[in-house]
Amino acid sequence: MKLAHLADIHLGFRQYHRLTPNGINQREADVAAAFRRAIDGVVRAAPDMVIIAGDLFNSVRPSNPAILHSFNLLSTLRAALPRAPIVVIAGNHDTPRSVETGTILRLFEAVEGVSVVAERPKDLVFDDLDVTVTCVPHTAWLSGARPTLTPPDSSGRHVLVTHGEVAGVLRRDATALEHGGALVDPGELHADRWDYIALGHYHVAHQVADNAWYSGSLEYVSSNPWGELQDEEREGRPGQKGWLLVDLTDRLEVQFQSVALARHIVDLPPIHAASLAPAEVDAEIVAHVEACAPGLDDQIVRQVVFDIPRPIARDLDHERIRAFKAGALHFHLDLRRPVPHREIGVGAPGVRQTLTDVLTEYLGRRPLDADVDRPSLVDLGVRYMQAVEQGLREE
Amino acid sequence: MSQTSGNAPVGRVVATETLPAGTHQFFFWSAIDTPIGIGAIVRVDDGAGRSVYAVVVDGKGYSDLASPLHEVVVAQGDPAGDRAPTRRTEVRLWTAAVLRQDPEEPVQPVPLADVRLATKEDVEVALRMDAYVRGERPTGIPIGVYRAGGLSAPVCMDADFLLGPESAHLNISGVSGLATKTSAVEFLLASIFQRLPAHKGSVAAVCFNVKGPDLCFLDQPGELTDADRELYAVLGIDPRPFDRVRYLAPFRADGVNLNTLRSHPDLVADVQPLVWGLREVLGFHEVLLNRDDIDAKADGFLDFLVDRVVEKEFRDEWGTTHRVQSFADLDRLFRAIFDGLEQAGRSDIWRTHHIATIRKVRNRLLNISTRCKGLVTDDGSVSDLPFGEFEDRTVYVLDVAGMDQVAQDLVFTRVVSTLREHLERRALGVDHVIVFVDELNKYAPGDGQDTYVRKMLLDISERGRYLGLVLFAAQQFRSQVHRRVVGNAGTVLFGRMDMDELATPGYQVLSPATKIKLATLPKGELMVRHPHFTQPVFVRFPRPAVMSGPTGTKRFPPSSDVSFEEAVVRQLTAMDRRIPAGRVRDLIAGRRDADVRRTLLATKRARPDDPFEYFRAALGPAVARERVAARREGVPLRSVEDPYAP
Repeated sequence: MKLAHLADIHLGFRQYHRLTPNGINQREADVAAAFRRAIDGVVRAAPDMVIIAGDLFNSVRPSNPAILHSFNLLSTLRAALPRAPIVVIAGNHDTPRSVETGTILRLFEAVEGVSVVAERPKDLVFDDLDVTVTCVPHTAWLSGARPTLTPPDSSGRHVLVTHGEVAGVLRRDATALEHGGALVDPGELHADRWDYIALGHYHVAHQVADNAWYSGSLEYVSSNPWGELQDEEREGRPGQKGWLLVDLTDRLEVQFQSVALARHIVDLPPIHAASLAPAEVDAEIVAHVEACAPGLDDQIVRQVVFDIPRPIARDLDHERIRAFKAGALHFHLDLRRPVPHREIGVGAPGVRQTLTDVLTEYLGRRPLDADVDRPSLVDLGVRYMQAVEQGLREE
Repeated sequence: MSQTSGNAPVGRVVATETLPAGTHQFFFWSAIDTPIGIGAIVRVDDGAGRSVYAVVVDGKGYSDLASPLHEVVVAQGDPAGDRAPTRRTEVRLWTAAVLRQDPEEPVQPVPLADVRLATKEDVEVALRMDAYVRGERPTGIPIGVYRAGGLSAPVCMDADFLLGPESAHLNISGVSGLATKTSAVEFLLASIFQRLPAHKGSVAAVCFNVKGPDLCFLDQPGELTDADRELYAVLGIDPRPFDRVRYLAPFRADGVNLNTLRSHPDLVADVQPLVWGLREVLGFHEVLLNRDDIDAKADGFLDFLVDRVVEKEFRDEWGTTHRVQSFADLDRLFRAIFDGLEQAGRSDIWRTHHIATIRKVRNRLLNISTRCKGLVTDDGSVSDLPFGEFEDRTVYVLDVAGMDQVAQDLVFTRVVSTLREHLERRALGVDHVIVFVDELNKYAPGDGQDTYVRKMLLDISERGRYLGLVLFAAQQFRSQVHRRVVGNAGTVLFGRMDMDELATPGYQVLSPATKIKLATLPKGELMVRHPHFTQPVFVRFPRPAVMSGPTGTKRFPPSSDVSFEEAVVRQLTAMDRRIPAGRVRDLIAGRRDADVRRTLLATKRARPDDPFEYFRAALGPAVARERVAARREGVPLRSVEDPYAP
């Protein structure tokens, strides 16, 4: 028995200001396209069941195109795989804060072959597949009494589907971890009692236990795609998004199925500008952009510049930077100031620095243009200071 | 020490060449009408500062008749015929065994002097109680009242020799059905709890109720007669039931009805379930597995499981990591091994263990949870004695009466072993623990093959006194118990004994008269052997101030087993009568039995202020169940225009 495990599709996700010719947010269209490609892949893989482990939509009230698109694709899936049930649970993004809001996921309950679990935990028993799917949506974790996650006393395979953060399993520096998810203690999962646990919430495909996986999202749908990129590098799948094809026939086998993305997320090598002049920083930025493999056009690119003082940042070539921003879907020049440091306890107690000492020290570390000779500048400053002092004494 | 006494002589020591007065035994005669009897304590003063205290162990009566033939001749063979013309002189001759001489040295034959009945002070001196019932740090524990000639004097044992460290353990023998053994232990526990001095530290008792309702009502007041109250007054003990009793009992096979006779709705709330998981059991697999059946190969595989698998991260050859914490986990591991070997081809060896051995061990281990159902759970839930948090002067009753013998062995072995481990680390919560076990001849028989339980009992009896682990054991036939177990008991009590038993070698030191007295001992009397007493002493003890088993089952008839739902309702409402039964029924409707059982167990263990709310929260939301029908070939849905089409 095979099942397709998808999660965190976030239909309706919008980011940046670029619009499609039809006036739709470009990233929203990207996410929709990724979902379409994922469904194409699922149809090709022909699993016996499709599981969407939460956050089908990016919000409780998704846009109409998002609703229509999801309807289209689930219909496509239903038509292409007429015998494969589709199980959808609600995640933290598509769970309403209040009961009266209702959930859009209910709409799909009307579609034969789609089982939606949006509020309370539920065991879905598929006799023809000899499998029971225990669904624990996001809200079930937050409603006071926590669900007990043990497989029902029935024969056959048992699959758990839930949406939340498994506490302590993800690294603390897992930068792509979304906030707002329910915290699930690993012990609550009773992982060894299930044949497979399909998890949603973390946007990077990640194995939590032998039989427990986050499938990750199909696109970069968080506010920190760079963090997701770093986590993907740690997982050995940089720049890859997709879903999981899980084979439960004999021994558990999980295959990551990559989905082609509409554009790249590029994190250019960082620049350390502590001792660089504006022109040198500009030159490094240009070099990085020109070396960017997919080019800049329509990509999402970030350039981080560390330790760049405000005066240097002000003198960068902003006209060229604006050109980069115009070419890319999103060009993020992330200028980070030096960490301010305080001088404490210099000199002997009771001995103050003279004004000349202060000036000499300041000019010795102040950022300068490349064509300015620092020793000469310091000499000049000291001479001016001595002249002023001489004048004062004569007065 | 008193050298003279106001009481009149009741006899005089006699010594002849054939019946000399010795250093440890002497003879004295008394009047025909005398209060002296077997077990009476007497004192002999020589008038020169020497006193001898002794206990009467034998008695004879005879006349000057040369032979019975002379009496027959006088009566001419007719019992109704002529009587002798003069009244024959009749003699009462008593044998007394020396308890103590004062001064102790030099040890000399008993002087030919008057014999007097012992006074209360004499009893103290004779039994050497003066060394431990008085002074700044007394350690006397009353065991009963010595009675003779209108005297009632308390007899105390030395706590240092009863609970350690000097000596320890108590063994009690007696025929069944006279309510002597259990009653004596109940009374003695009350005596220890009330009279153990503070400087001896704290004490708790763990009692294994192995048959009937004997120990099921220790917290309920019993019926006492005026005579009993008088005995309590003499002993200085308050006749009241135990203040703190904690009951533990396993479930029945249904996992929710408790397997105890203390199941009356008014009492069952106090009974905590006794439930163990794999971790608690596997360390004692030797108790449960038949050694004839488990060969060296199986033993090796069991050791492998204990050392390398259970409670550890274990990764098998097929990439699966197991963390075996319950029988269900263990079963999953076995299934993974069998599946893996099957897929790997024809190999029948896994990590040097043959698959047949693995299958055998699997069958035996998984069978434990079946044989001990109600005690051992598949899912690893645990409800146990509060090891580490034992409370002072508290009785913990483990009601294992309704369990299979193997399960009883397991409970006994694991509890006592765990007590020992905690006491070795001084981490039990109390300084001394008294373990009371009845039917000792079953657990530590004198013959038969060596068992794990017997080895452990031997270890306790030999080392327990250093740890504060004290064994109070009872049996019908002392001769059938392992010699080293009874031999290590510092204090031995005897109730009424069977004559066959008294004929065994262990009782050779007793005189025929003492044996006869033991064989006819009335209810409520005991013969006591204690390290301070150089001769056995007969005492009378009061009925325990707790409700007896038969009375308890009459007053609190056990509930019959009820349905799963009703049992849950009853147990929750017993914890808090304000809980509406209907709410409990609604809450558990449609829930999995295993989840309800586990939650109920957790609730009883936690004893929260609001049991229903705790139960509700721990049970979690209901998991609805929906059977999804197989898909039919239907009319495909019409797609709408792609809203994201370029």
